[in-house]
Amino acid sequence: MNKRRPNPKQVPDPTEPMWRSTLRVAMPLNLSYIPIGLACGILLHAAGFNTFLTGLVSLLVFSGGGQFLIATMLTINSPLLSIVLMLFFLELRYALLSSSLSPYLKGQSNRFLFIFAVSLNDENYAINYLKFATDKKWTVREALAVEHYSLLFWATSNVIGSLIGSALKIDLTVVHFALTALFLYMIVMQLKSHLTLLICFISAILAAAFMMITKSTLGLVIATVVSSLIGFALEEFIQRKMPDSHWLRRIHSPGSKKSAVEHSDAN
Amino acid sequence: MSAVNNWNSTQHFWLIIFGFVVAFIPRFVPLMLFTKQAIPEWFNEWMKFVPTSLFTALVVKDIFIDSSSYALILNNYALMISAVMVIFVAYRTRSMVVSVIVGLAGVFLLSMFL
Repeated sequence: MNKRRPNPKQVPDPTEPMWRSTLRVAMPLNLSYIPIGLACGILLHAAGFNTFLTGLVSLLVFSGGGQFLIATMLTINSPLLSIVLMLFFLELRYALLSSSLSPYLKGQSNRFLFIFAVSLNDENYAINYLKFATDKKWTVREALAVEHYSLLFWATSNVIGSLIGSALKIDLTVVHFALTALFLYMIVMQLKSHLTLLICFISAILAAAFMMITKSTLGLVIATVVSSLIGFALEEFIQRKMPDSHWLRRIHSPGSKKSAVEHSDAN
Repeated sequence: MSAVNNWNSTQHFWLIIFGFVVAFIPRFVPLMLFTKQAIPEWFNEWMKFVPTSLFTALVVKDIFIDSSSYALILNNYALMISAVMVIFVAYRTRSMVVSVIVGLAGVFLLSMFL
């Protein structure tokens, strides 16, 4: 029933319960949440959050970028409204992520969608999107289980980070780079054609330009919308005018025969 | 992180509640709309480019943009070199944990020498 991988190298146990098979899929993400979650808990502690509230914000906001932002803005004494507005612009990207997941969640009740949306996050989105796209047997229940595992690890790491916050001294530049490395990893996993690579460069230049112009992370939202539209328009144009252009050719990647998620849980 | 914030826990609590609302709406509304009615084909084609665009923009913010003045900084050599290392390792190993650990180790070591 849970035999989702006809991969000769691994012998999946058909009787393996769902909590174990989904835990195996979620584990690389869970592990990488530990250092980031600890770091975030330490930062929130430094910003004045008590341990209970650190746990609460991890459960309700559940966004590495968002919680780092809250901690940073609190330490520079920003007003409530400006923190919430910045947070809104940062979280606006989830509209795009959840739209792209919606084809796989058709027919679910509003209650299920509510629960699914609460624990949706960049990283578990990346895993579930890959799984839905490459594994026909991947179910919404399994996707929700992956979300809940990552939420559990995230919140726990944050609480522990908050508890040891006063005792531990960490270089914040290093701590923050955990998040950057995670984003870089996800970019590499998403690179499918030369066109996608081009869109990365366009997005990079636009992001820098718009952030300098708007003097806020609103520039991120504008750059994302504009460069994805450019990618969309370019692909339409190339497919119509020159269907065998090298821009549409797939990028060779080691181990690309298997999906990234399946490969990484073999580690 | 030297500045001490003077908010009390009640204010933090309301910040979390408002934070939840603005984090939840963008996650829930599209999910609710687009599972009930068909997404136009063009919308799907457009969405394909969203994750890469967004993640690239976030990386650029982390490496090249100053978080308080929003000015361009081009001398974060430790971060730039570590980023290249992460890309290489991610491409070769396709492993999230290895990529993140290499990145953290890279920044830690390089920022001691650069």
